[in-house]
Amino acid sequence: MGRDEDNKQGIELGEFLDFYLLDSQEQIERLGAGLLQLEKEGENIGLINDLFRSAHSLKGASGTMGFTPIVSLTHAAEDLLDRLRQGKIEVSLEMIDILLAVTDRVKAMLAQVEQRQDITVGFEDLVSSMRLLLNGESVDVSIASHPVEEVIETLSFVPLDFSLTLDEREKLNNAYSIGRAVYQVDVALESNTLMKAVRAVMATQVIEGMGTVIKLLPSVEELEAGTAESFSMLILSDESKEEIKRDLLEISELVEVIVHSYPNSEELGDLDKIPNEINKTIAEEKIKPISKQETAVIPKGSVKAVASPAAEATTGEGNTQVHTIRVDTVRMDNLINLVGEMVITRTRLVQIGLDLKAQYSTDGMVNNLNEANVYLGRLMNDLQESVMRLRMVAIGTVFNRFPRLIRDLAKKTGKEIDLVLKGEDTELDKTVVEVIGDPLMHLIRNSVDHGIESPEKRREAGKPEFGTITLNAFHEGNHIAILISDDGAGLDLDKIRQIAVSKGLVGEREELSERDVANLIFLPGFSTADVVTDISGRGVGMDVVKKALNNLGGMVDITTRRGKGSTFTIRLPLTLAIIQALLVEVGQEIYAVPLSSVLETLLVSREDIKTVGGLPMVQLRGNTLPLISLQEKFDLPAPESESGEVFVVVVGFGDKALGLIVDELRGQQEVVIKSLGDFLNNLPGIAGATILGDGKVTLILDIGSLLQDVLVNRKG
Amino acid sequence: MAEEQLVTFSLGSEEFGVDIMRVQEIIRIPPITRVPKASEYVEGVINLRGNVIPVISLRNRFGMTRVEETDLSRIIVLQVQTKVFGIRVDAVTEVLRLESEAIEPPPPITLGMDAQFIRGVGKIGERLLILLDLDHIMGGETNHDVCA
Repeated sequence: MGRDEDNKQGIELGEFLDFYLLDSQEQIERLGAGLLQLEKEGENIGLINDLFRSAHSLKGASGTMGFTPIVSLTHAAEDLLDRLRQGKIEVSLEMIDILLAVTDRVKAMLAQVEQRQDITVGFEDLVSSMRLLLNGESVDVSIASHPVEEVIETLSFVPLDFSLTLDEREKLNNAYSIGRAVYQVDVALESNTLMKAVRAVMATQVIEGMGTVIKLLPSVEELEAGTAESFSMLILSDESKEEIKRDLLEISELVEVIVHSYPNSEELGDLDKIPNEINKTIAEEKIKPISKQETAVIPKGSVKAVASPAAEATTGEGNTQVHTIRVDTVRMDNLINLVGEMVITRTRLVQIGLDLKAQYSTDGMVNNLNEANVYLGRLMNDLQESVMRLRMVAIGTVFNRFPRLIRDLAKKTGKEIDLVLKGEDTELDKTVVEVIGDPLMHLIRNSVDHGIESPEKRREAGKPEFGTITLNAFHEGNHIAILISDDGAGLDLDKIRQIAVSKGLVGEREELSERDVANLIFLPGFSTADVVTDISGRGVGMDVVKKALNNLGGMVDITTRRGKGSTFTIRLPLTLAIIQALLVEVGQEIYAVPLSSVLETLLVSREDIKTVGGLPMVQLRGNTLPLISLQEKFDLPAPESESGEVFVVVVGFGDKALGLIVDELRGQQEVVIKSLGDFLNNLPGIAGATILGDGKVTLILDIGSLLQDVLVNRKG
Repeated sequence: MAEEQLVTFSLGSEEFGVDIMRVQEIIRIPPITRVPKASEYVEGVINLRGNVIPVISLRNRFGMTRVEETDLSRIIVLQVQTKVFGIRVDAVTEVLRLESEAIEPPPPITLGMDAQFIRGVGKIGERLLILLDLDHIMGGETNHDVCA
């Protein structure tokens, strides 16, 4: 199977392979999105035509490259879609399920191709189901879900750390040395299984019949006590994976059994590295006959950046010509870096011009220079804007993967959920788009799991059975706001407070507004076992979401109404590369404050600063504005003479604001954000560094983290 | 016969050596920007031709007293794995070759500094050269820096 033809042809497939992968991944995304649309809208001949074309070109390309499994799958799908197109059969739910399964399967195959492995993903079952559908017969849709998950699991398999004792480790080593197979068996139980521990004991007994169980995780005692719906076993056996799986599945209430080979303990030192290394060695073996250049991995960014046109392609007639070219992201980043350096150099030129003017103010040549500088400045602004636009990607590229997620989650939880997407065209920087997916996904999972109630409960509460989750993106000044709202139960604020108090995160008597309480869920250490479920709680807490967003210079906020639902609001800067900044001086150091988060600057008399709860505050137009002294925060030397007035830079996002007390304002400038490197990242309150016109390094303040600091720890 | 090429420098009366392959360049002290809340031994960051790199005060790292900058003060820019950083030293003395046999493991009682920074002691006649283990100067410390 797999790339059996390339030896025969003996041509260098590497470069073509990259193009093929890019194109196929795009087609597959398009197919997936189109199928979901078809499910929603029912018969739509234009859409079916598009789907047919996607399947057709995928088949054609895969045939040229010699990936027979992909050809077989897409060929059958194409037949099916052709029949639909001719109106000989009708769209059915099971058909959509099977076709979606086809896209998953092809994705998994493409992933193997990308890693230069042979295609081992099975496809015969789906092909035969599609044949049945073709003849108007019904099929068993269950194959649509299970085997695919297994495939994906195998690809991303990370061996579990069983924390073996020395004794157990020795058994394992013995097994490796005599060549006995070691497996990790992951077993999922039906969610309503009552006696989980009993199932685990039964499973161990089955294994003991054909090998040895070294360790069960979680242990029988923990299973008895806990709510875990799955367990893993480390076993030695001479039987094949399939046989183990088959025997285990005979036990009732085991819904899923996945058997992986467990890597040798010698390599277990660094668990995270293993899958990569395995892939690498496999990849190296496979590509022997191919030239060195081909081993180059496709830059990830370039794959992601082109995944967008799915939406417009399915709605349009398909023949509209798109005037776009694909550019490697590395080249684009180079361009942006160069522009960044030019911005710095121009700032220097301006400085030199001003110095010259101070010295030879009457000289006409100096004026000429300064005029040219101004013009250069304008050109630079345009250039910069154009370059930044190159990196702008519609957020729809991220949103597009969520309909499928919601569909699957809804099926799994038995809830009925509609996902509404708004503002998919809103553009933001590629770097932001790349990293925003995971936090969003976590928040959505959270909404499905904790937000939307079951249909019965919703009916009781007098709400429509269909829960709605809305994803909305829009520009708000220099920021992008992303709202994730659900019309579910809302947060149980009393319970949150209770948990926070019991964990010592807040004092029992502290006065907290509803919003403060809701925001407690973002505290590290809040998410624990009692809120963990299969979907949202995988040991990743909301604090991780918050931190990920803070790292991007953004923040997250939550509003909730009991019985009505919750809304998470994410605010992020539009770009992460070049920003306008306000330079401020504190304790003889200069810091840059991103101008996008500066609301205003004030001159405040010291007498007006009051201390409330240990924190300085000032009244601003009837509102209390909390203040931070940067000099104290950063342990800087105090100014020699204290004047009666201080400068306050008011910063904030949305309706959250904070005043920074500084010594001087030094004007506005555009700065190129540079990383502080591995050694110094994650410093509180510092987002990065930049280089000013005089060549000196200046630190950029992280307003998001400063704000969040004050909002969350304001009592501390 | 194996030998090592070293860049040697001084801190007070002690002489140190680092593997020349790790040395990217040696520069005079540019303006250094303090980094608040970073570890004490991080003197700050500097601009090295458009790149921002951290500078460590070796005196601070080894618990020695601070001294004023002189004409001889230098920053040795090092590359350890993929990370680039500078170490501030009192003076750079020379480049020399040292036979592997002339290198001894670090003595159990070290010269009042943390043994983890020392890879060995090189002998050149009567001179003693402390060879630095660069991986620990900064790399081993990143974890608890963050909590500082």
